[in-house]
Amino acid sequence: MESILFYCFATVAVGTSFILVSMRNIARALFLFFVVLFAMAGLYVFALADFVALTQILIYVGGVLVLLLFAFMLSNKELLNQLQAGTSHFFALPVWQALTVALLFLGVLLYAALQFDRHEPQWIAAAREAGTVITPTDRTVQHLGIHLMTRYLLPFEVISVLLMMALMGAAHLARKGGQT
Amino acid sequence: MAFYITYIGIGLALFGFIALFALAAVYAERKIAGFVQDRLGPMETGRYGSLQTLADILKLIQKEFITPAAADKVLFIAAPVIIFMAVFFGFIAMPWAPGWVPAALNIGLFYVLAVVSVDAIGILMAGWGSNNKFSLLGSLRAVAQIVSYEIPAGLALIAAVMVAQTLNMQEMVANQGIRATVPLHFLGVWEVTEIGGILAWNVFQAPHLLVAYVLFFIASLAECNRAPFDIPEAESELVGGFHTEYGGLRFAFLFLAEYAMMFLVAMIGVVVFLGGWNTPLPNIGALKLADWTTGVIWGFFWTLSKTLFFVGVQMWIRWTLPRLRADQLMTLCWKVLTPLGFLCMAISGIWRVMVMV
Repeated sequence: MESILFYCFATVAVGTSFILVSMRNIARALFLFFVVLFAMAGLYVFALADFVALTQILIYVGGVLVLLLFAFMLSNKELLNQLQAGTSHFFALPVWQALTVALLFLGVLLYAALQFDRHEPQWIAAAREAGTVITPTDRTVQHLGIHLMTRYLLPFEVISVLLMMALMGAAHLARKGGQT
Repeated sequence: MAFYITYIGIGLALFGFIALFALAAVYAERKIAGFVQDRLGPMETGRYGSLQTLADILKLIQKEFITPAAADKVLFIAAPVIIFMAVFFGFIAMPWAPGWVPAALNIGLFYVLAVVSVDAIGILMAGWGSNNKFSLLGSLRAVAQIVSYEIPAGLALIAAVMVAQTLNMQEMVANQGIRATVPLHFLGVWEVTEIGGILAWNVFQAPHLLVAYVLFFIASLAECNRAPFDIPEAESELVGGFHTEYGGLRFAFLFLAEYAMMFLVAMIGVVVFLGGWNTPLPNIGALKLADWTTGVIWGFFWTLSKTLFFVGVQMWIRWTLPRLRADQLMTLCWKVLTPLGFLCMAISGIWRVMVMV
């Protein structure tokens, strides 16, 4: 049952991403992105990362996607037409380059997966020996909280400073010209 | 396979409950509106108009599906479903009585917040899909408001969670009454683990949680687009907001989602702050009122009565207070509620470390 569900989520995620990138209608593509994010959240649950899955929904679906939609709905139609035309886009690579990058990335992923199968990393074996593997009923939030406040405190604080800078920058940009 | 049948049964039972609640709540809303405005409200259908909402829903079910010619058909049809599902999924983690919770998730409260935030996407979908400027404006207003007010609501809940030390809603409720596994203190000084009742509720665990509850209640009104924060569907300005183009069963689903959302936010407030299925009656000496009024049936009774009381308060507020202007709405959110929320959160941290050791 679990593996059927897993493959369902995976198919939905991959399939909708394909449709998404080939779609010309930006509004619908953004709403499809919602399906992709949801399917990804489902996959996170299978990796026993329930907190990450919900954070994905809360932040990406409830926040980032809404902002994207706002930006899309409030922006100039001319600009959007230009975007939809495709080729003048800054990131638009010719097809063969995009394909090469994608294939190379696939190669790297496959190589990593094969390597992983052949030599299992030692920390996984050690954790299994010691019985410290996370089970589906464990409380992941508490582990996360403790680690964020002890082991990963510095990265956590650095990220908060970064977000603070982003907030201040946004407030500065949004100000009216004369008051700066 | 039996448990799949149970899952489906629970889903159907919840849906049935929401539908019944919406029918009753629409009637109650119209009667309360009538009372506040010194008129009678619906009186024609049935005795005292009691069959009015049933007649309304029968009319809505019979109606033809009308899709505007210029609408984005897929989005237009999907939107009511997504809006309703977002709210409906939220009910999964809500505890009803001791041992009676559809899914006792470890991160229940966080789950409810996350799933309910999907609502905003559905509203944008409806607004954009309708291809109507009133719908689009209404949905933009609604989403701006929902996204902003999620922050004070979330901060108020975090303040309570920091004191309760769990995100599992069933545990959170259990720790607010006589079945608590941790010592409870009324305002941090008087041990009330044995006494229970209203004294053990989270709002009275620490003085600032009362502020946090009021904050959450105000923010939750905005989250379900209720007056005084109903600019998204301001009839006098925007026809009907994001659901202008909807009719028939689709409109019925949007309406159902709105009332389900009212019940859900009231229930979150009750579960997190007001003791959920715990009784308000304390044990007084030999008079074991709290022991006598705790149990599965009492649990359902207390959850329902507390939640319905706060739904009633929401209706009362709707027909009493005038609507806030858009800029006043944002000022209230960002300059009053959010700083207060941060303050509550900070006090919770200090309270946890200094008082509740």
